[in-house]
Order: sequence, then C-alpha cells, then structure tokens
Amino acid sequence: MTMRTHLQLRISLVLGCLVVFSLISFRAAGTPAGTDVAIVVNSTNPVSNLTLSELRKIYFGDRQYWKGNLPVLVLMRSRGAPEREVVLRVVFEMTEERYTKYWVAKVMRAEVSDPPASLYSFGILQEGVKGNPGAIGYVNAGDLRPGVKVLRVDGLLPGESGYPLR
Amino acid sequence: MCQIHALLFRCENRDSKLLVTLPEQSTPKLEIQDAVWLRWNIVREVCMHRVWGRLALVLLLPMCAAAQSASTNERDQEMQEMRARIERLEKLVAELQKEKESKNAVTTAQAAGEPIPPPSTPAVPSAQHEDTVASMDHSGGQGGAPNGTERKFPALHFRGFGDVDFAATDDKTTHSGFNMGQFILHLSSPLSEKVSVFGETSFTAQTTPTATVYNVDVERLLIRYDYNDFFKLSFGRYHTPINYWNTAFHHGLWLQTTIARPEMIRFGGRFQPVHFVGMQAEGNIPSGPLGLGYTAGLGNGRSGNIARPGDGGDVNNNRAWFANLFARPAALNGLQVGGAVYGDLATPSPALTGTPQFRELITSAHVVWTKETPEFLAEFAHVRHRNTVTQQEFNSSSAYVQVAYRLPGEARKWKPYYRFEWSNINPSDPLFTTTTQPAPLVNALTGSTVGVRYDITNFAVFKAEYRHTERRATDPVVNGFFLQTCFTF
Repeated sequence: MTMRTHLQLRISLVLGCLVVFSLISFRAAGTPAGTDVAIVVNSTNPVSNLTLSELRKIYFGDRQYWKGNLPVLVLMRSRGAPEREVVLRVVFEMTEERYTKYWVAKVMRAEVSDPPASLYSFGILQEGVKGNPGAIGYVNAGDLRPGVKVLRVDGLLPGESGYPLR
Repeated sequence: MCQIHALLFRCENRDSKLLVTLPEQSTPKLEIQDAVWLRWNIVREVCMHRVWGRLALVLLLPMCAAAQSASTNERDQEMQEMRARIERLEKLVAELQKEKESKNAVTTAQAAGEPIPPPSTPAVPSAQHEDTVASMDHSGGQGGAPNGTERKFPALHFRGFGDVDFAATDDKTTHSGFNMGQFILHLSSPLSEKVSVFGETSFTAQTTPTATVYNVDVERLLIRYDYNDFFKLSFGRYHTPINYWNTAFHHGLWLQTTIARPEMIRFGGRFQPVHFVGMQAEGNIPSGPLGLGYTAGLGNGRSGNIARPGDGGDVNNNRAWFANLFARPAALNGLQVGGAVYGDLATPSPALTGTPQFRELITSAHVVWTKETPEFLAEFAHVRHRNTVTQQEFNSSSAYVQVAYRLPGEARKWKPYYRFEWSNINPSDPLFTTTTQPAPLVNALTGSTVGVRYDITNFAVFKAEYRHTERRATDPVVNGFFLQTCFTF
C-alpha cells in the first residue's frame, strides 16, 4: 500500500464522513411537512376536502353545521402556539386583538353562544377531535397522531407544494 | 507503547531472519541493506501507524455520527415518553377540573336549595370557549374547563359593557359635564346543541326634575332554535335587522369605533324602529362564493309611541314584517353588502286628529368593509309614511358614511375616524313632529364627526371626537367636543 493509496483512502473516508453527516443533518432538520398546519377532523367525518373560503366560513362561525346537520365544534390552540399564529394569519387574516373583538361581537350579536374553545396542547386538541364527531381543529403536521383525519385544503395536503396553511 | 514494542519485535524478528538466511560474505552488505531495510521498515511502520491512527480517527467520526444518531433516537424516544407523560398529566388535570366543577355545582345547588345534579354530565360535541375571552366570560369560575371539549347545558356566559362620557357643546340649551353611559349586561347560554338563549339588559342613568334614577330595560331577549345553517328560528325581542349598525354593535359601545351611533339609528330615535318584538328566521343561502344570507321576521312593530316596540302587545291587528338580504363574498373577506325592507301599520298614541293610521315602508341598504385598514361603513335608509285616511305620503331619507383607519406598527392602538351624516326629514310628517315642542322629533341633519379611538388595552378604550352639526335653517349650528371611555369585561 503506497502513500498515495493512503492519501486516497483518507480523502475517501473524509468525503464519506461528510456525506454521512450531511444525511444525518438533513434527517434531523428535515420533516418538510413539519412547518405546515394540518386541518384535522374526526375520522367519521365524511368531508375530506375544504376550500380555504369554506374553512374560513367554519372558523368564522358562519357555517355551524356539517352536512347532515351535525354541529361543528371549532377547536383553537391557545395563545402563543405557532399553529394558532398561522391560522390567524391565513384563515382569519386578523391579529389576536381583532380576533378577540370579532368573537365578542359575534356573541354580542347572538350568532353564537360562545367563542371557540382554546386548547393548550395539540394532544388534547387531537383527543377533542377524536372524541367529537363534529370537531375540527388544527395541529402542526409533524405532531399528527393516529385517529384523526387530515383534510385537504384547496385539494392539497400538508407538505405539498402550494399548501396554504404554513 | 505496545505498538512500539510490537514494531521492535517485528524488526528484531526480521533481523534474525535476515541474519539466518543471508550468506556470510554478504553479511556486511546485508547488514547495510538490512539496516536500510530496517530503517525503511521503521519509517513505513511509523507512517502506517500514523495512517491507521488517523484512519481510526476518521473512522471514529461516522461512529460518533452514528452515536449522535443513536442519541437523537434516544432523545426522540424521550420526547415521546415526555409527550405521553404530558398527555397523562393533562388528562389527570382535566379530570380534576371536572371533579372540582362538579363539587362546585353541588355546593351551589345545595346553597340554592336545588336538587343535586348527577355527578357526571353527558359529554356531547361542541364546546366553544376561547381562553382569552374566557378570562372575561364569567360562567362559573372561568367559564368551564379551559381545555375541555365537552359542552354543558345550560352554560351561562355573561359579559358587561360600560362607558363614562364627557360632553361640552356651544348649545346654550345644554350643560357640559360628565355623564354615566349605559351599563349593559349581556347573557347567553346554550340550552342544547341547537337551542340557545340570549339576553341584554341596560341600566341607563336618567335625571328627572326630582332625582337621578337608573332606568332598567330589557333590550334583547330571545330564544333560538337552529335547524341547520340555512334555517334558524327565534322568538323574542331583537334589534331590528334592517340597519347594519343596529345589529352589528347593539349596545356595546366598546365594539363601535365612534362615541355615538349615527342619528338615523340612535337609541330612543324615531326614524327607524330600533327594536322589534316577534319571531325571526335567519340563515345562509346556498350561493357558493357569494356568501348570501337572509333574515326575515314578523312581529308587533311600533307601539303607540313609535320610538318603542310593542313589548306588551301590538297596538293594532296588523303585524309588522321585515326581510333582509346580505352578501359576504368569500373572495373579499371583510366585505358585506345588503339591503332590507320593513313594513308596518303605525297607530300613533295619543291619536292624531281624524285618528289616522300610517302605512310605513322602510327600505335600506348598506356597504361595509369591516377590516380596520381601512374600516368603511355606509348606510342609507328611506322611510315612507302614508296616511290611511288621506292617502298623503311623507318621505324622508337618511344616510351616513364612516371611514376609519387603524394605524400600523407601534401606533396600532390609535384609530382615527371621520363620519358624515345627512338626514332629509319631511317636516310635515305627523309621525316625526309633535305639537308640544317646537323642534321636530326627527330633525334634519348635516353633520360631521372627526375623532380618534385609542385602545388602552384589548378591552378598554378612550375616544375623543369633535362634532359639527347643522339642522334646519332656523336652528343654530352646534359644535361639540366629546370624550368617552368604554370597556367590556
């Protein structure tokens, strides 16, 4: 084995290590769908796709029933959750202050009895969705758990190009 | 050291072998060659040692990476375990909260002498509760479990609105000073998944010649049955939904941008009926992106004093009716366009000369853009009264346009606004005039309001505005400065 061979071996090993490190780093930081917010409903809900405007109507409390007159139960994450910020920005197009005012006015107008529930964890939210046939909520796509149904929004699933809730 | 010993041992072995195998005459040469070879061998071995050492180091890197990967997996596993633990704890907390609530309910029921409800409440879908709002929603503690997804029936939620005002004008017939605004209690409760009740009560300070009293009034009280999104039926006392402002802000001054309502729909006003007693159907109309909705109602209409509804019964056998159609296009979030029509037979009391009644027909329209950057409200209403005896008609109109803008960034607490109002009132309309005082009950108006709203917190604001008001040619122009702080809790 010559010195040149050793040198080639060393270079090959170093390059190999770099490739391995790159792969590990990509795997750790990857999960491209992790930044998307998935809209989830109960697995018995026959709906599988909503347009963004339909989703908006539901979250605005203007559509309160699914087909078949099943009451919609809107679930929100509590303040500070990144998913909530995405939903406020994309669906409501509101700040927290305006969101609060919107629901005070909505209740004041007697259009709803009370505002959407705000839940402190995605686990409880998904439990709520699993336990209520009419529930709709949202979670980070990386936090999805079995037992809930992910809806397409404008025909797209989280992670797909053009998905609006991100 | 072991490697060095091993290296030396190998050299010695090599030396021994060479000494044994090489011929004697060549021994010196061989010794030199051997020395050279030995030197080379040592150098090679040292080089190889370095190579293998570095090779080992290089090989260690992927091993470290693998170890790191393993530790990442362990961390993921730990995270999952932690999540599972959090889940268990959250469930435990929820159970404890439920237990605490049921104990509170038992205590409250016992204190009220009511029968003790069963400890478990059936879990049904649809719990809507917002923590930020829940902090103001006093329905037993914090209005139910903040992280619960169960709904209880009934579940009373109440909210208060209040305001304190200051007014100073150059109108010689009034005094400047502070005054208490209305104190509003708004109550709501679902009775089942599809049945709910709403109530709104006002306490209004009124100064009489002998004392200051608070007038208590039931502003709204209704029960609503939901069939689906397209048909909801309710009965009770409403704010007549033929005017956007009347049903968007009700008595919540905190909700509206300006200090006062437009004159066309002011409380106690006569131009349009502010309240309505009867039944109402409402819902969405399947219309895709147009977002159409409707409201239609049948009720008692105006009472003998046309500023009041017929709470205690109608003044005639003719029911008032209204229909309202509006659109909230999906593509323009924040836009609402609509129109309404209202019909009634007004029977003024005390009766006018000849005891005439008046067929009333009100048509109205509105365009609003509810986003605050900018906010735009515009409404128009036309009122026609026809004397049923003489068939004489009296037409009056009123409109307002209001523009506001929530400032960006750090200045977003500020929202300057401007409103222009205009009313063209038929001065001979018997329902809008009275013989007991010189000024008509509904007067002509051309006015401007400019002001600013400052949100102290999310739930309390300051407003300051200047108003310039012109009425009939014979009336003086009035300029006024107004302040208000209003809040909800």
